[in-house]
Amino acid sequence: MRFNPFAWAKLKFLCHAGDSEIGGFGITSRDDLLLVEDFVTVKQSTTAISVKFDDVAVAEFFEDQVDADRMPEQFARIWLHTHPGDCPNPSSTDEVTFARVFGNCDWAIMFILARGGQTYCRLRFNSGPGGSMNIPVAVDFYTSFAASDHTAWQKEHKRNVTIEPLVPRNRLLAQSDDWDLVEDPFANEVEALLEDDMFEFEVESWEDDQCRI
Amino acid sequence: MRILFINNDGAGFADHIEIESNMPVAKFFAQKLPHGRPEDYLIRVNRQPVSRDQILREGDRVTITPRKIEGAIVS
Ligand SMILES: [Zn+2]
Repeated sequence: MRFNPFAWAKLKFLCHAGDSEIGGFGITSRDDLLLVEDFVTVKQSTTAISVKFDDVAVAEFFEDQVDADRMPEQFARIWLHTHPGDCPNPSSTDEVTFARVFGNCDWAIMFILARGGQTYCRLRFNSGPGGSMNIPVAVDFYTSFAASDHTAWQKEHKRNVTIEPLVPRNRLLAQSDDWDLVEDPFANEVEALLEDDMFEFEVESWEDDQCRI
Repeated sequence: MRILFINNDGAGFADHIEIESNMPVAKFFAQKLPHGRPEDYLIRVNRQPVSRDQILREGDRVTITPRKIEGAIVS
């Protein structure tokens, strides 16, 4: 899969525009469905370690893209999101979403950009026996592309990305009189995350077969 | 009768189609996405949410889009 420089610059900019994950869809030309010409966000609720699209915003995105004379294969097959730290490997939540949302499409791509610059890109397809494979990613400087527009990108981030604070689970439990407070092993992990610089933690080990653009 | 149908399953679709008259939304969904679970999709007609028994009309624009698109480091 290739990005044109405009789309890549916008994704990188939005990845670092706030202290949270972000996500969106890749927009491609009709002639080359693996050349991402734009990265478009929708309204989403995010934390440092999660991103969730607004369902109505996704529907509006589909309607607007069709009004712009694009087909779904041009705007709804490449799901992109970012990760904190240096690890772009998909989480179990990512995998569940990819299977549930995109599993019935003829093909789809899950792309993840870690804030450290590492990338993960997997193509899943249903033709023939079906299957999936990691595919290489590159920025294609030979394509024509628009100039960067930080002002517009910042406005898009402000308009679409809501950043929620991280709340440890046992704190939530403690707020409920009806629930017994149980020791949650995950709580210590989140507490540590909150106390440290949130983007310096290492989530998983890095594997050498992944690429950094 | 003729409606505009937009969805992303299979090859993806965004075009006018012919359907039988007086078809409820639930029947249309079952015909077009026979393997889909309704709770996994947002179904709108003319950009508005609809009930499953709403009757589709000539010229309606039906959009079936995925719900709960989310990622998280910790599941
Ligand atoms: Zn993820």
